[in-house]
Amino acid sequence: MQSEKQSNSPIKKLLQSISDASLVPFLAILTAVVIGGIIIKLVGGDPFLAYKGLLQGAFGSKKALSETAVWATPYIFAGLAVALAFKGGLFNIGAEGQLAVGAVFSALIGYALPEWLGFDLPVYIHLPLAIFVGMLTGGIWAGIVGALKAYTGGHEVINTIMMNYIALNTTSFLLNGIMKDRSPTNVIARTPLIAESARMPEIFDGLRIHWGFVLALLVAFFIWWLLNKTTLGFEIRTVGLNPDAAQYAGINVKRTIILTMMLSGALAGLAGSIEVTGLNYRHELGFSIGYGYDAIAIALLGKSHPLGIVLAAFLFAAMRNGATRMQFLTQLPVDLISMIQALILLFVAADAIVRYIYRIKSKGERVVLTRGWGG
Amino acid sequence: MKKLYFVMALVIVASMILTACGASAPTEADCSKAEVFCVGLVSDVGKVNDKSFNQSAWEGVQKSKTDGVADVVQFIETADAKDYAKNIGTFADAGYDVIVTVGFGLGEATVAAAATYPNVKFIGVDQFQAAETPGVTGLNFPEDQAGFLVGALGAMMSKSHKIGAVCGTDVVPPVWRYGEGYKAGAAYADGLNGTTTEVFVVYHSDVGFDKTFTDPEWGAQTAKSMMDQGADAVFGCGGLTGNGAITAAAQAGAFAIGVDADQFLTLPEAASRMLSSAMKLITPGVADLIAAAKDGSIKAGNFNGKAGYAPYHDLDSSVPAEVKTAMEKINTGLLDGSVTTGVAPAKP
Amino acid sequence: MDWKRFSFIALIIIVLFGVVVMIGQVKQPPLLIVTSMLATTIAVATPLTLGALSGVFCERAGVVNIGIEGMMLTAAFFGWLGGIYMYHIFGFTPAVSIALGVFFAVLTGGLMSLLHAVLSITFKVDQIIGGTVINILAVGLTGFLNRQLFFGKGSVFGGSVPGSPGVLPTIHVPLTELFTSICGSSAACLQNVQAINRVFDQKPIAISAILLVFLSHYILFNTRWGLRTRAVGEHPKAADTVGINVVKMRYANVIIGGMFAGLAGAYFTIESVPSFEPLLTNGRGFISLAAMIFGNWTPIGAWAAALVFGASQAMLINMQIYRDVIPPAWSFLQESYIVGLTPYILTMIILTGIIGKTTPPAADGVPYEK
Repeated sequence: MQSEKQSNSPIKKLLQSISDASLVPFLAILTAVVIGGIIIKLVGGDPFLAYKGLLQGAFGSKKALSETAVWATPYIFAGLAVALAFKGGLFNIGAEGQLAVGAVFSALIGYALPEWLGFDLPVYIHLPLAIFVGMLTGGIWAGIVGALKAYTGGHEVINTIMMNYIALNTTSFLLNGIMKDRSPTNVIARTPLIAESARMPEIFDGLRIHWGFVLALLVAFFIWWLLNKTTLGFEIRTVGLNPDAAQYAGINVKRTIILTMMLSGALAGLAGSIEVTGLNYRHELGFSIGYGYDAIAIALLGKSHPLGIVLAAFLFAAMRNGATRMQFLTQLPVDLISMIQALILLFVAADAIVRYIYRIKSKGERVVLTRGWGG
Repeated sequence: MKKLYFVMALVIVASMILTACGASAPTEADCSKAEVFCVGLVSDVGKVNDKSFNQSAWEGVQKSKTDGVADVVQFIETADAKDYAKNIGTFADAGYDVIVTVGFGLGEATVAAAATYPNVKFIGVDQFQAAETPGVTGLNFPEDQAGFLVGALGAMMSKSHKIGAVCGTDVVPPVWRYGEGYKAGAAYADGLNGTTTEVFVVYHSDVGFDKTFTDPEWGAQTAKSMMDQGADAVFGCGGLTGNGAITAAAQAGAFAIGVDADQFLTLPEAASRMLSSAMKLITPGVADLIAAAKDGSIKAGNFNGKAGYAPYHDLDSSVPAEVKTAMEKINTGLLDGSVTTGVAPAKP
Repeated sequence: MDWKRFSFIALIIIVLFGVVVMIGQVKQPPLLIVTSMLATTIAVATPLTLGALSGVFCERAGVVNIGIEGMMLTAAFFGWLGGIYMYHIFGFTPAVSIALGVFFAVLTGGLMSLLHAVLSITFKVDQIIGGTVINILAVGLTGFLNRQLFFGKGSVFGGSVPGSPGVLPTIHVPLTELFTSICGSSAACLQNVQAINRVFDQKPIAISAILLVFLSHYILFNTRWGLRTRAVGEHPKAADTVGINVVKMRYANVIIGGMFAGLAGAYFTIESVPSFEPLLTNGRGFISLAAMIFGNWTPIGAWAAALVFGASQAMLINMQIYRDVIPPAWSFLQESYIVGLTPYILTMIILTGIIGKTTPPAADGVPYEK
């Protein structure tokens, strides 16, 4: 509102705010990388070779870049899911389960719908439908937790953890049972391949990067717009900052909590959906494990801002993707990446440590991301 | 003050990037040269030091180096299923001659890579080739026979006539074959001796897929529960989960039966009560196939590795002579086909 | 006392046991099934109980701790590693090495929780995020060290994992011996006594977990320390005005909580199975958290809830053992994926407040600012 009145060039102001917001994360990453390097050195590895491998593996070739984008795609969606919940004052640890549910049901629509209908669908109906069902089921899965929170006060952290277990067991049950690919050569717990009409087209021949990546960027923009330019976004943020005040201001807090959770779950479901329709063309046990937890770190690193999340997702994707080349060159275990990621998260969360190391003054405000069990 | 630190930070970053780009790679031998024979191993989601499946395969690759077959050996551990193709490709692009992929999960990616890289020989451990793909050799094992052998042994050695098996998820065909083979073996021994042995086989199928092989505590509790109900021999089949069961059985003084490798050697905690192990000889199988790939005698399609049972080691004196003879008889019977396990290749 | 909650818990446990007895009795005498299940229940509940106690201490003092999982995992690793170092490098006897291993595990738990305390109390980092950091860090740290220390020729132990000094011994309660004369020559009587005896033969950490439950209950509700802890967690401002050092109390309780989690970690690698595997805690820290809430932030309630989780795992194992004799009408019990959902769904039901309202400490999760 007030920005229009100021005479400063908006671009300059934007740059200033970006550099302010990114200084601490940047230094946090730097510190983590340096500590990681020291650890590698301590165990007798070659930190420079390791980081060289990481960089080469993530950005060294067209293929490497494409793979980084492939990794970043679900990270962006899932990171947005967690961040949206953060904005609404909710902590969604359940992206993992919502993602799995979304993937399973997307795959179901992808392979079974033509059979049920008895005829083939055109791609412009089948593909959006498969994606939509994935979003819907992910949204419902999280919506249950939202409703429990709104009407009984059951805390979303424990309930989403429980729902994760329930989701993983249920998907295992489905993939081993009625949804298992029954072709005689298959022995793995996985669905049949989805129909051609439910697959996302490739962008470039021979590279795995798919239109889901573009969609992820668009959705990130959409979420920014939703949060900052719409009434719903305002309501979500207000409830997130202070539910009591929101109540006084006439916002339906219960409805907003449920909606926030559903939107968050839909984004996580979308992550699963895109993995199925854009990359794997089926769902298989063992795929997409751990993305929901990485998403928490990504949302924190990106300070719950859509642009920040896209960047953080890229960082994590680059590290995960580059790890192969790092392993190949140094034979250091992948766990090293988890350790560096934990350190990054530590320094971002406890920015006071980073500010202390680099003697940077705090701007004063402290962002409250979550609240205790009381809610 | 603030500026100083910032500049320092920048210098560190810049120096790291510069050195990173400038440094030569000492470990990366030139595998694209014809005379350098390189072997790479891609593990399934799992570690090459898992004391079980992946480790045995990696030891096979290392054996090929100590035997003088391979000049360079490297591994890449897969952290996520979506990296299968990339991990294989990393070796292939670097000019590796043989790539060993471990686990049924990598089957499809291996076949696909064979088309992209026709000059590379692929060895797929536990990957049954329904159709022959040029360049891909599936190394499979009759786990049901190994399970059958130790099942018969357990049934013959049990005093309570109750024996148990604690396995990973039956979704994985080799695990299913071990478990069902174990049952069948016990029944076969009953037929020989006129006994009735009760066999408890428990698969860890009640959790998400990622946890089924990595839950030693669950394995230990399940084994204890079986022993509380009278079982006096426990077969642990399924990675770390099975290791937990084996160790718990050994501590309780029951007979412990290992899996995949001779676990008398890999599980020192259970060695004193280790009756035998259902073995699939992954290490020699992998090493033999690598040697065959080098001299060109390797054939695409399926290659059957050997299965068997491990020596009795410390418990040798407590195994009666007639049991030993019976075991040898069953083993020869399985090898010449006069004894069959009747176990389907995968859970129906 | 919260009778509604405890009757609900008792009812669930009875139902879980009842189902197994009903199905298994064609194969085994009911007494044997019940005692076997009890033994499993107690063992499975041990790390969950200790983890839940860890949560109770932290949260009663007003610090949310979702890092229990990570604390357990690191403690399991360093306890085991410490035992091995003491045994192989320093040449201590197995018994001493094992005891020192437990000490290292508890110490590790304490140190990890110190990190949590520094983050959440001093730096006022969001407490749930602090816990998440600990969980991620634990996975990376233990996985990395487990590889680097034992793999490759250059590693400390020359490329292989050395045998651990062993596990804590079972403490035998001489029931069988006591009853031998009473049973006389009746073999059935003796068998029953032996079956019952198995339930009482537990290992030190399992026994201390139960003792700690009651000790914690006493400390929290009957001592000055407990009163102060609860005051700090319920109303830190008021506690401060009457002269209680809020920061000090919170630090102390978080560290005590971390030591409980450390003991839980020791259970895995020093009491149950003498080896470490990456990710071996497998989410049990999160289940502990659920048990703590299930038990309404009380030690005894948390223990009862942990027993529910233990009983449902005992049932799952037994359902597979008796897979062949499950009557067709009950065939859904064969679907272990579905039966495995029981504890999770129960937790969610408890959280709805149908069975008595669960109330967290009022200042739980709120950093204290003077």
